Amino acid sequence: MDSSMENNVKTVRRSKEEKKVLRKQLKASHTLLKHEGISTAAQPTKSLVVANGGLGNGVSREGLSAALKEMGEVEGLVMPPHKPYAFVTYRSEESARNAHVHLNGQMIQCGDNSVTLYLSYVESVTHEEQTSVLLPEGLVLVEDFVSPEEEAVLLSAIDWSSTNDDITAQKALKHRRVKHYGFEFRYDNNNVDKDKPLPAGLPEECLPVLERCVSSEHISMMPDQLTVNQYESGQGIPPHVDTHSAFEDTILSLSLGAKTVMDFRHPDGRVVAVVLPGRSLLVMKGESRYLWTHGPDLGTQSSLTLSRRGTRTSFTFRKIRHEPCRCAFPSACDSRGAPSTPSPALPPSPPTLPCCRADAARLEEEYVHRVYDAIASHFSSTRHSPWPRVCHFLASLPPGSVLADVGCGNGKYLGVNPDVIAVGCDRSGALIQICAERGFHAFVSDALSVPLRTASCDACISIAVIHHFSTQERRLAAVRELVRLLKPGGRALIYVWAFEQEYNKQKSKYLKESNKEHQGNHSPTSEDSQEPHGKSSIHISSHLEDSCRPDDSMTDVSRVTDGKLSVHTNRTAFNTQDLLVPWHLKEGKKRDDEESGDSSKKGKSKEKNKKTSHNSCSASSLNPKTDPSPGSGSRLDTSDAAHIPDCKPSPSGNTTQTSSSTVKSELESSPAPVFHRYYHVFQQGELEQLCAQVNGVKVQSSYHDQGNWCVILQKDGL
Amino acid sequence: MKLLTHNMLTSHVKGVSKGYPLLIKATQVKVNEVDFNPKFVSRMIPKLEWGALVQAAEGLGHRQDLPGELVSDYEQNEDFLKKVHRILLEVEVMEGCLQCPESGREFPISKGIPNMLLNEDEV
Repeated sequence: MDSSMENNVKTVRRSKEEKKVLRKQLKASHTLLKHEGISTAAQPTKSLVVANGGLGNGVSREGLSAALKEMGEVEGLVMPPHKPYAFVTYRSEESARNAHVHLNGQMIQCGDNSVTLYLSYVESVTHEEQTSVLLPEGLVLVEDFVSPEEEAVLLSAIDWSSTNDDITAQKALKHRRVKHYGFEFRYDNNNVDKDKPLPAGLPEECLPVLERCVSSEHISMMPDQLTVNQYESGQGIPPHVDTHSAFEDTILSLSLGAKTVMDFRHPDGRVVAVVLPGRSLLVMKGESRYLWTHGPDLGTQSSLTLSRRGTRTSFTFRKIRHEPCRCAFPSACDSRGAPSTPSPALPPSPPTLPCCRADAARLEEEYVHRVYDAIASHFSSTRHSPWPRVCHFLASLPPGSVLADVGCGNGKYLGVNPDVIAVGCDRSGALIQICAERGFHAFVSDALSVPLRTASCDACISIAVIHHFSTQERRLAAVRELVRLLKPGGRALIYVWAFEQEYNKQKSKYLKESNKEHQGNHSPTSEDSQEPHGKSSIHISSHLEDSCRPDDSMTDVSRVTDGKLSVHTNRTAFNTQDLLVPWHLKEGKKRDDEESGDSSKKGKSKEKNKKTSHNSCSASSLNPKTDPSPGSGSRLDTSDAAHIPDCKPSPSGNTTQTSSSTVKSELESSPAPVFHRYYHVFQQGELEQLCAQVNGVKVQSSYHDQGNWCVILQKDGL
Repeated sequence: MKLLTHNMLTSHVKGVSKGYPLLIKATQVKVNEVDFNPKFVSRMIPKLEWGALVQAAEGLGHRQDLPGELVSDYEQNEDFLKKVHRILLEVEVMEGCLQCPESGREFPISKGIPNMLLNEDEV
């Protein structure tokens, strides 16, 4: 505010309009500073942040670049995906000042879109911002990879006059023509017949192209399988992940003929539309190959300036995999038991309690691991307040203690005590990624087999983990593993969700009805009972009135009549021990990091939400055709999530849709995904009993903490 | 994966008895800047397997002049602590794999994260 005062003094007459611009500018800058950690500079520099000029605002690089170039020589333009701002660096400070004078508060037209830009100086544009990638991780698009002449040669190399195999294939697939070389691809199991290589091998016309791929380092091994697909416009196949066990990591897809749009979908709902021009090469590696599904976008093609009629031919080159897949994405990996065709987020026929280890592993894969991988960023955004009693345990550890957090999730506890040497592990690669981004030491592993040496840890914690194991044996094995890691005298802290949500006549926060939120959004955000989540509430059923009192009939509770697991209604008392708990996925909406003090002040969070919603309104215009969808679920997303309902000041009457579905309806009509997580909630005394079965360890204390049963174990021998 | 993590990790392939330390095969290594906290570093040192640390550092070409054996009175030796700090907390393997010294099984490291998951048949 001081600077504006100063300006008022300097410029004798500042029009109302100019004052308004300046105020908005300051507000935009202030918000950016707060949410993104960008500091604006008081003095002019060569670099500017352009608020409202980001990809998240529907502004195109071409449009913004054109406007900026008029002001002077542009050295660099950085447009981080999904963000409501961009960074421009000019060759000279003079050009930057020119831009500031002429563009600040000016409207820019981008297609159907017009936004008002607010420019502020920044000290510098960091390298990270410059290297942010628009496309899904691992995806590279190389345009003009082959010349028109080479394209013609490749197209003519395919002999569509069919062999017997092709007739069968073509009959089955009414939507396109397809031919395989090297190995036959089987559509019944989405896998390759590795024992039956096709005699012809790959057409020799492909060799120069493949050699170019190798020399350009897009792929390291020569592919030995080729699938040629020919589609007319409007034809295509459903979204899919190429079977992990069939093919090695890098997959190359050469697009010939008509331009097309390929949609990449992440399990958490993000969609990135990638335009594939003719003669371009698409390289899929890593996440884009193993986790994102891809499939032609047949719906919105007409709204793009594409040739209306056109045949597209794709040459997909792959290398056959002979060992089981060991990727970092087990949730989508058929070598690890995931189905090889992607299942939509609709629950299949209800699962039953497992009776053997393999069943248990499969159940947990479907109803724990896949879910966490899919919801990781949203989940992480709801897990930011460490529970006080856990912190107390962590604080009690002597400096220099080695701490293992088994099932560390997003690393919430890894930084609580900085004097401790903390390492975390989790089954979810996506959550561990978040830990790594936060600078924590973490790795992916299973809690039943932790790759740390026996007796190497002074302390272990396992918070809200063991209740995800679906048999008593596995839960016991998890406790044993924790104990194995402990040095003699070492202590472990275990938290599991309690069947008894009400204890000592105190209802847990999970059960307590939240106040009506201004969003009126009925999706549950957190059933994490210690998480005061000043957001949406669930419609509470009358169950709440019946307080859950432990009584004799409880012993029968664990058995569900027909063995089928029931789906729990969030924020109600539990009536069975083994159940599926729904998680309604929301597009990424960042919560402020580590709110200091008492984050349970709902008023405070409401205020934050209001601020967020104000800014999301300005970022709400999108160009769905060329830009990726907003609210990618990245935990760094702030207001650009474009939650349309949030802009409404009063509760939305819409009780069935979540904000993510409203956003999506702009792009596609799929409903907000609901995921189901498996839990075995513990009865009073059950955790203690479990621990008592482990040798060499004693229960030091046992208590109920906000809807959880907790124990502290100490290993014998000191 | 930083070398502190590596120092703690071991191979847990079934039947393996000499799974520590894991061999590092790095294809991409990064060096970050991390705040130096001499107290923290000096507390870490007794918890480490010094030999494994030196071996790992050597393998990555980042040993510099880290001694093969711990010096005495290292708590006061800021120079030494800085070297340890760098090798433990600043050098990071971004891509590559960890190999079990006994079974040869490789665990991939991707984007700085080691994936230690075993397959059903290896547990």
